[in-house]
Parts: sequence; C-alpha cells; structure tokens
Amino acid sequence: MNEKKQSTVKRLLNTRGMGAVITAFAGLIIIYVAFGLIDRNVFSGQNFMNLLRSMSKYLLIGVGQSYLLITGNIDLSIGSMVGMSAMISATMMAMGVNPVLAMAVAMACCLLCGVVNGFLVGEFKLPPFIATLGTMFVTRGVAYMVNNNRNTDAIATGIGKEAGDSFQNFFYYGKTLGVYNTFWIALLLFLAFFFLLSKTRTGRHIYAIGSNVDAAKLSGVNVVSTTIKAYLVSAICACVVGFILCAQAGMGNMEAGNMYEMYGVAAGVIGGISPLGGTGLLLGTFAGAAVWQTLENGLNMIGAQVGIQRLVIGIIVVFSVLLDVVVRSGNFGKKAGK
Amino acid sequence: MGEVIVSMKNIVKTFPGVKALDNVNFELRSGEVMALLGENGAGKSTLMKILSGVYTKDGGTMTIFGKEYDNLTPKQAQAAGVAIIHQELNMCRHLSVAENMFLGREKVKGIVLKNSEMEAEAAGILGDLKIDIDPRQMVGDLPVSKQQMVEIAKALSIHAKVLIMDEPTSSLTAKEIDELFRIIRKLKADGCGIVYISHRLEELQAIVDRVTIMRDGQYITDGIFKEMTMDQIIANMVGREIKEQFPRVSCEKGKKIFEVKNLNAGKLVRNINFSLYEGEIVGFAGLMGAGRTETTRAIFGVDPKTGGQIFLDGNEVKINCPMDAIKAGIVLAPEDRKKDGLCTKLSIRHNLALPNLDLLCNKLGVISSSKEDKLCEDAVKNLMIKTPTVEVNAANLSGGNQQKVVVGKWLARNSRVVIFDEPTRGIDVGAKVEIYNLMNKLKQEGIAVMFVSSEMPEVLGIADRVIIMCDGRITGEVMARETTQNEILRYATEFEKKQVS
Repeated sequence: MNEKKQSTVKRLLNTRGMGAVITAFAGLIIIYVAFGLIDRNVFSGQNFMNLLRSMSKYLLIGVGQSYLLITGNIDLSIGSMVGMSAMISATMMAMGVNPVLAMAVAMACCLLCGVVNGFLVGEFKLPPFIATLGTMFVTRGVAYMVNNNRNTDAIATGIGKEAGDSFQNFFYYGKTLGVYNTFWIALLLFLAFFFLLSKTRTGRHIYAIGSNVDAAKLSGVNVVSTTIKAYLVSAICACVVGFILCAQAGMGNMEAGNMYEMYGVAAGVIGGISPLGGTGLLLGTFAGAAVWQTLENGLNMIGAQVGIQRLVIGIIVVFSVLLDVVVRSGNFGKKAGK
Repeated sequence: MGEVIVSMKNIVKTFPGVKALDNVNFELRSGEVMALLGENGAGKSTLMKILSGVYTKDGGTMTIFGKEYDNLTPKQAQAAGVAIIHQELNMCRHLSVAENMFLGREKVKGIVLKNSEMEAEAAGILGDLKIDIDPRQMVGDLPVSKQQMVEIAKALSIHAKVLIMDEPTSSLTAKEIDELFRIIRKLKADGCGIVYISHRLEELQAIVDRVTIMRDGQYITDGIFKEMTMDQIIANMVGREIKEQFPRVSCEKGKKIFEVKNLNAGKLVRNINFSLYEGEIVGFAGLMGAGRTETTRAIFGVDPKTGGQIFLDGNEVKINCPMDAIKAGIVLAPEDRKKDGLCTKLSIRHNLALPNLDLLCNKLGVISSSKEDKLCEDAVKNLMIKTPTVEVNAANLSGGNQQKVVVGKWLARNSRVVIFDEPTRGIDVGAKVEIYNLMNKLKQEGIAVMFVSSEMPEVLGIADRVIIMCDGRITGEVMARETTQNEILRYATEFEKKQVS
C-alpha cells in the first residue's frame, strides 16, 4: 500500500513539466512571503481574498492561451474577445434583455470566433499569429460597433437594479463559503479544462499535435477538429472573463480585456508551458497566474507605480523562460557527454 | 511463402509537373520480406505512401487481403492492416511510449483515458518482441534505434499484417540492426508481409526473399532475391552499368597538411592524435557513438574543446568557433544534411553564398549579385548539381544533390582540409559514386580529406588510410588496402576495460 502510494507520488513528480510547475509555485511562495515581510497587510485575510478574485481573470485567460500554446499555436484574439463579450452582454442588458439570454448571445459570438480561428489555422494552415491577429482586430471592431462606438450605460438601467445587482454579485461581488464567486467560477472552469487536457482523448490529441503534427495526423488524429477544440476552449475562457469585467464595472467598456492575450501567454510561460508546443501543465498556468497577480498586488501594496509593475513582470517572464532554457541545455550537455 | 496479400496494378500518381508513378505493379505475399529497390526519386516512397493512405492514387487498382480499395485514409489503411514506419521517424517526442503507440485510438472509459490499461498492453507487445523499454518513458528521451522499435511495436499493436519499413537501418549500429532483423524474422514467421526499402544493398541478403525494382517512377522488374546477382540488381536500379562501385584514384602522398595533437572535448573525444597528408583520403571508421562526429565538431569549433592543438601547414591555428576554422581553410560537411548542413527553406543560391558572404560583399556589406552568380554557376557546373535553376529551395533536391550543395558551399574558398561526415547516408548508388569522385578530385588537388563513414565497404573502397575510433579514443590505424573488415571491427570494439575494484 505504502509502496503503491510512493510510486504514485513519484510518478506525479516525474510527470513532464512538473519541475517547472514546482519552480513556479516555489517562486509564488517566495514572492508572497517577501511582500508580506515588507507590508504585513499582504498577509491579511481580506487581501488574500482580493488576490484570489483578481487572479481569476488571469487564470482563465491563461488557461485559454495555454491550450493554444500546447498545440504549438497562439490565440491573439482572446483579449479582444473579452471586450466583445463584455460589450455584447452589457449592451443587451442595458437594453433590458434577460441577462442569461444576453450572456448566451455573447457566448455564441465568441464560440463562432473560436471556430473561425480553428478553421483558419487547422484547415487552411494559416500561421496562427496572422490568423488570430485578424480576428483580434475584427472582434475589437465588433466590441466598438455594438454600442455605436460608446461604452454602455449601467446595466441596471435596462434590467433594473435588482437583476443588475444579482448579475454583478454572481460574477464579482458576491461570496460563497467566504470566497468570492469569481474565484469559484474560475476554479470550476480550470478544473474542467484541466480534466479535459490531462484525462481525455481530446487532451492527448492536443499534446500530440503540439509535439509533432505530422505524426499525429498519420496516427489518425483529426488535426482540424482538435485545433478547433483548442480555439473553442480559449473562446469560452475569454467570454467568461468578459462577463467578469462587465460585472465588475456594472457596464460594458469597449477597451475591456486590452492586452489580455499577452497576459495569458505570460501566465502560461511563467508556469512552464513551452510556446513551441507539446509540453506544459495547466497547474503551471495556475501558478503563473498567481505569480503575476501576487506581484501586481504586492507591488500595489508597497506603493509601486504601474510602470515599475510592468517592468518587474517583464523581467519575471523572461527570467522564467531563461531558467527553463538553461536547465534544459544543462541536460543536453550531460547527454552529449555521456 | 503464402498467398498474395497486397496487389497493386498499373498505379499512376502525378504531382504538379511530375509523373511520380507510371503504371507501377507491386505484389506482396504473406510471410515474406519484399525489398523495394530503386534510386532516390524512383517512386518507392510514393508507392508505399499510397498503400498506407498518405497519398491518393490517380489511377490503377489496389487490393489488400482480397478487398479492392479505391482510396484510403491513414486510418482506413490501419484498419485494413497496413502500417508504415517512416524514414524520418514520426513520433511525438513529448509523449510517452505507450501514448505514442495508442495515439489516435486511445482506450477510453466514457471520456476518461484508461492509461494503465494502455501501458499494460504496450508492455505486453514490447515484451513479445523482447524489447526492453518502459512504456512510460518519454519517446524523446530514447535513442533513435529504440524509437524505431517503438514504431514497430506501434504497428503491431494495431495488428498490422502488412508492414512497410522505409530505410529502417539508416541510423542504427550493427548490433541494433541484428536486433531489428531478429524482429523482422519473427514477424515473417508470424505470417506478416514486410516491405523493406533500403539503400544498403549489403544487408539485403540477411533477410530479403524477393525484390521489386523501380526506376524513374516505373516498375522495372521483380524476382527472387537468391536468383539475382548484385550486379543485375544495381544495373536494373541505375539503368546503366556502374563500372566501379568504389572508384579509387591513386595519388602521390605529399607533405603533411593538417595535424591534431591531444585533442580533448568531453567523453567522446579523448586524446585524439592524427595527421592528414596531401593526396590521401583518411577514413574514420567505428561504431555509432564512437566519437567520430564529436571529433569533427570539436575540430571545426562547434563544440568547446578542453585541450589540444591543431596545426595547419605546420602552424598552430586557434579554433574557437566555426568561423575560425573556415577562415583557416578547414571546412566540414556535417552528418545531418537537413539539420546542420543546409538551410532547407532557402534557395540553393543562398545556401551556396552563406559561408562565403565575406568574399561576395563589398566593404559596406552589400552582396554583389554578379559574384554570387559566378559562385553558383561554378558550383553547379563543377559538382554537376542537377537542378533547373539555383533559385530552387534546397529542401526540394534529392539527397545526393543536397549533399553536393553542402560540399559546394566550401569549394569557393580554397579550403585546405575538407571533413566529410557520413556524406553518403541515405543517398542512392549513382549519387554515391559522384560523391566519391568528388572526394577523389579534392584529393588530386592536394586537399586533405577526412572521411567519416559507418559503412565499412566504402571506407575500405575509397579511403587510403583508415583510423578507427572506439568510445572516444583512436584504437587503431591501418592502410585500407592491407586490412579487412574484421580487423577494423576488432579495433572498433576495443573498449577500455572497466576497472573493477
């Protein structure tokens, strides 16, 4: 029994990419403790709850982007999709449309974009950078056009104060079991997509096409549908982040989600997901999003300006990949000298 | 020999501008190994890709196990019992052995993968073949030979009865080849039909029952291997008599050009001492992993050296990076053409010009097109590179012509020492002779030629002197005319005795 348990732990530790995940979590703890020592308020329960809530959107966007990074692709359109989702749902709610219906329409639009991205990349073999650059502009354009190039009015003006409050509480201000709903939503989606990636056939195929697309195809993997599925995951994540931002502001902002696609890349990369495809664990993305948010939060608490925050985060991203490269090349050296 | 299991008749396949297959016939019986022979570009791979569902045919009929198929997808071919092991191994490096074996047909319960069941089944298949690999190991961590075994195991896991192997031995050592042949014989005894594509004609007699020969997209002949002579086979493949498989040119041995003293670089390059003289080709023989490639890389300045001196014409040269070597006149045609030798996405012209830009540019760094034209023209003419224009991508050339481009990069530079690392790997008989002639030409021009090769017959046939390496050390030096394969093999397996204490 004990032996079996040990081998499970050992196997978990031997999972490819686990090293990077552990490094990221270790970094997370160091950063958190370091800021806490400078300012004790960082350790306060309220701050911790705020931290969980604000990391949620980065976690979701990171999960979406990680799916694409693992297939060896990228999705530049998710930031704009966040804006589109926020604008479509807010505009409809400000007009008095039922929130569920408004969200369904926003989700449908995002899914459509996901399918288009997947088709362009999978079926037509467009470079993913270019294909999603296109959809990035298109979706941002739609976000602007939805309400005639204006931000929306407060959603409560359309659906009423009660419905507006309950929408905002559901996605942002409310708590369940003492933790903000935002985090529960993100955690639930994270677990679902974690399961999909690590335990199902679709997940296996996502790793396979990221590792060697020709081998995957010759083994009978449907590359087009797998690519589309990956882009659908990122679309779903972006759409939900749009709802969260809409609930936070209580209105739709045309610039919502600006640059989020890159935050997603950063979260994944800090967590050890290789932008070249084939490797990485979503647990790493979780750590990456948490590192990011802890930094932002900690720097805020000690009174650092936005400029220095960006600078530090930039250095962390490069440093974490550099670490990965150095560790790997160390391994190569050993092999060559064998 | 059993009944006919695959029958392809009058197969036609056209690619834009090329008729790749022209009325080709092919037949495979159960329990036999059929060698499919022909030069590069003869259409062997294309034919097999049609059989395995990678390409679709434009005409002809294809019958597998008595059922006629119009066109197949890779998945349908698998279902029909056909599996192909590609020349460039097609595996997902980041996935485990078991994950690769079950890729595309994973076992699931509901939507959850049944990992332990797949691992157990993979272990069973590997065990049947007596291959010692842990199914949970990452494929990227396995040596090439093991990866190939995994591919074979993968083919068996789908119960393939028709197994196509495209150049399976091109990167295996003698011992690994024996292991592969053992598995092939077992599969044959189990009633599988095996199509075996190889350029190494010497190894055919160990396993092959029948041969089919193709040339320029056409079916030439087939027959029982034992009833044919090697000369007949080669003549049918090449379409002309090759007078000498290994043309040797005699030269006066001149003065010492190049000397390496006590070179050390890692565990595979230990205390290497040797010299090269004018007018001779020095072969480097040994098993795979003996450190020959590593030695060439250390000399050329790719890998860092931990000690040693290099002399050219009696003067010491310091080589810390490839540019130092190139400037001194020491050049390398590396082992892996596509990876290290060429920028495959660039044209022949750009490839030829790349290491010579210092000669082609003026002081401001602007490339002179007329000088570039001249350089390309000379290279194409001198090396007889077969291509319509020099603007063709290097990737689109045949292996032999690619090799010529790799060599062509260096000929404009008045090099003193040319190092060839496995220059004939994966290229066909005719092109091999051209590469040998090229080496002979360099030798006659007084250039020192270092020739690393794992194929014993060509080392004995082309080199004048042979240096043998084992486990990172030089273990022997013999004159090619006075030695035998056995003697070389003895030196090549002279491992240091591990001290037991």
